[in-house]
Amino acid sequence: MAYSNKVIDHYENPRNVGSLPKEDPNVGTGLVGAPECGDVMKLQVKVNPDTGVIDDAKFKTFGCGSAIASSSLATEWLKGKTVDEALAIKNTDIVAELSLPPVKIHCSVLAEDAIKAAIGDYKKKQGKADTAQATAQPTA
Amino acid sequence: MSSETTHTLQVCRSCGGGAPLDVHFCPQCTKILTLGRHGDFFSYLGLPRKLALDTAQLEQNFRTLSRQFHPDYFYNATPAERRASLERSSYLNDAYRTLRQPTSRIEYLLTVEGMPVGGDGAGGTQVPASLLEEVFALNEELDEVREMRGGGAAAEQWKPRLERARRPIEARRDAHAAELQALSAEWDALVERGAGPDDRRPVLAALRERMLERNYINNLLAGIERELAG
Repeated sequence: MAYSNKVIDHYENPRNVGSLPKEDPNVGTGLVGAPECGDVMKLQVKVNPDTGVIDDAKFKTFGCGSAIASSSLATEWLKGKTVDEALAIKNTDIVAELSLPPVKIHCSVLAEDAIKAAIGDYKKKQGKADTAQATAQPTA
Repeated sequence: MSSETTHTLQVCRSCGGGAPLDVHFCPQCTKILTLGRHGDFFSYLGLPRKLALDTAQLEQNFRTLSRQFHPDYFYNATPAERRASLERSSYLNDAYRTLRQPTSRIEYLLTVEGMPVGGDGAGGTQVPASLLEEVFALNEELDEVREMRGGGAAAEQWKPRLERARRPIEARRDAHAAELQALSAEWDALVERGAGPDDRRPVLAALRERMLERNYINNLLAGIERELAG
């Protein structure tokens, strides 16, 4: 099986590798794994509290080239998107962009799961802040 | 499920008679049956679909059938019978190899029960977060050790780190083995009392999860071994 040029490019020059402070209330962290192949992927987003736009995204993936490329591409796409736009990213978009073969589609699924998990974690943190406010100022 | 398979028939190509799915020779004309419709590895070997297999029984049934199917006995038989003897021998060997190892036995059981481990389970199973975190941290540790070695660090510096990293994952592996054993016993008890699919499913699902987690654990341990050996 041959990797597409885009996969190789992301694999050799992965974008946005690294991590963001996990405790930051504006950072959402998604840690997901594909037990079938033993891959594990961490993806983080940092949301600008004023605009609701994702300012920064980082990832670290232990796995095959397609898993690394899928998460690298995902972080590129996430930057500049709002949280809701980010949730609209589908694994099929990643498959199309990277020309992933059928046996590697699960890598793109993993990336989509990681995005959802990261946004979910961010929302959970924000929701906690919101409920704290709600208790302080009950509304009808 | 097994009661259903015993009612299904295969057809003897020699005399046209019907035979239960789990027999190897035609009950009417005694000729070896072409390997067409057949049972799963368990029933083929005349064994219950249990995980704590009686290995002595497995060995004995394997030997008996091997002898019965042996192509030497079909030297003068019709081409169809000669082919049947080869096919039955080959399927028998597959069945024996698969059921002999406890791990491949569990994997096979999950496959015939419709929950294959290697299947298209994308997103179907969630590995516990604590295991994912452990896997992630250990992978980072492995990366750092690789960097140290790349930078020419002495073995006394990185070896103890790897040894330390190995301990928790080995403990995990042992705990897993114990869990697999407990679940296997649970499965066997269900088979024994003829429990229905609703009772069986959660046990199968738990077995499948443990098997998937094994991939992580084994990959990590293999990575550590490679690093230590390299």
